[in-house]
Amino acid sequence: MSLCLRGKEDSQVNKLKHFVQQSWLLIVASFFFGLLIAVTNAGLSPKIEQNKINKRNRLIGALLPEARSFVALDTQIEIESGGGRKEKVEVFKAQSESGQCVGWSFNASGSGFADKIELVVAVDAKFEKVAGFDVLSSSETPGFGDQIKGDYYRSQYKGAPAGELKLVSIGDPTKIDSQIIAISGATVSSEAVVEIVSRFVTQIKEQMQKKGIIGNVKQQ
Amino acid sequence: MSNSSEAKPALYSQTLLVGLWRENPTLRLLLGMCPTLAVTAAVKPALTMGCCVIFVLVCSNIIVSLMRDLLKPHVRILMFTLTIAAFVTIADLFLKAFQPDMSETLGPYVPLIIVNCIIICRAEACASKNGLVISIIDAVGMGVGFTLTLCVLASIRELLATGAIFEIQILSLVKDGGWFVKWAAMGMPVGAFITLGLMLGLVNIVTGKRA
Repeated sequence: MSLCLRGKEDSQVNKLKHFVQQSWLLIVASFFFGLLIAVTNAGLSPKIEQNKINKRNRLIGALLPEARSFVALDTQIEIESGGGRKEKVEVFKAQSESGQCVGWSFNASGSGFADKIELVVAVDAKFEKVAGFDVLSSSETPGFGDQIKGDYYRSQYKGAPAGELKLVSIGDPTKIDSQIIAISGATVSSEAVVEIVSRFVTQIKEQMQKKGIIGNVKQQ
Repeated sequence: MSNSSEAKPALYSQTLLVGLWRENPTLRLLLGMCPTLAVTAAVKPALTMGCCVIFVLVCSNIIVSLMRDLLKPHVRILMFTLTIAAFVTIADLFLKAFQPDMSETLGPYVPLIIVNCIIICRAEACASKNGLVISIIDAVGMGVGFTLTLCVLASIRELLATGAIFEIQILSLVKDGGWFVKWAAMGMPVGAFITLGLMLGLVNIVTGKRA
């Protein structure tokens, strides 16, 4: 009986020995590389964070020239995207040098022609007019869809009412209203940006009014 | 003694040249096609990608060469992947910190270096069988060969798609009163396939290896 038990123990010890013999290098290397990555990450993450902040400030700074600093809103804003899914949106309050609110900005995204389009959108302090947008990332067709980054298309948003926007094919692009003139040859991309901006602006406006951050309840 | 010391530099230079031309990873071995097709719309991202691959290739070849006697045959691929993944993550972090715009342009293709066949091929074929010096030279040769090919491909595409190379305007555009009309297709995936195909054909003609 005891002999049989001892044999079992022996085979288990052998198994363990075999396991360690085969895999010690892998385990040691995992720890070593893990440590190496952790050190690199610890050293570089402040700079990476700073880069992100700088980029945001640069983009929104171009849209809201008076803005000097940005404060993230602590209230949760969730917007509904297609199919009943909810998305969290981080809204930033842009402040001038004297601490006055000069506008709001947030990232908005939705599907474009080829892939997801990510925008940064800025609106004025009262949430009445769109101050403009910029493209963070997109894979629209070069020469056609990627004209959404161009001045012809983007300038139509500067001053447009912060509400439902509409895409039309003919019109005067210099006239600032809720009608956005499409880029010829890139209707899908033009439509996508109109849809993204409209969806985010109307829903965020509604929620911020409900929460009393802007609008009727409390004037900023 | 004198014989071997003479043979060594010859071996080193031969190893270096093999990667540049005779076994050029992109043009002759057809390895690492994913970044070759994806990041060559302009020279800048292609050069950045090439530098990342050189860094990862050299580091992984050093580590694999140093531990080649300790490797157990059936866990060796696991060890290679672990080593490569660690250095790719480090390269990715450095890019994000010091070249944030380029890091965004390259997007997922930097993390995808982990599964780049060139690196795992060099670890398996060279570093796990050879000494440190040969492994480093091999890594540099292969890496530079890859980078040069990427840059040539990217130069052709960028020139035809935008009239510029390295963002310096070379051909005068129609809108500035010149004659060159941008060929947008060259900036798209189709341009990559066509240019790479023509380059491969040209290399096959030059080396006399007709299909």
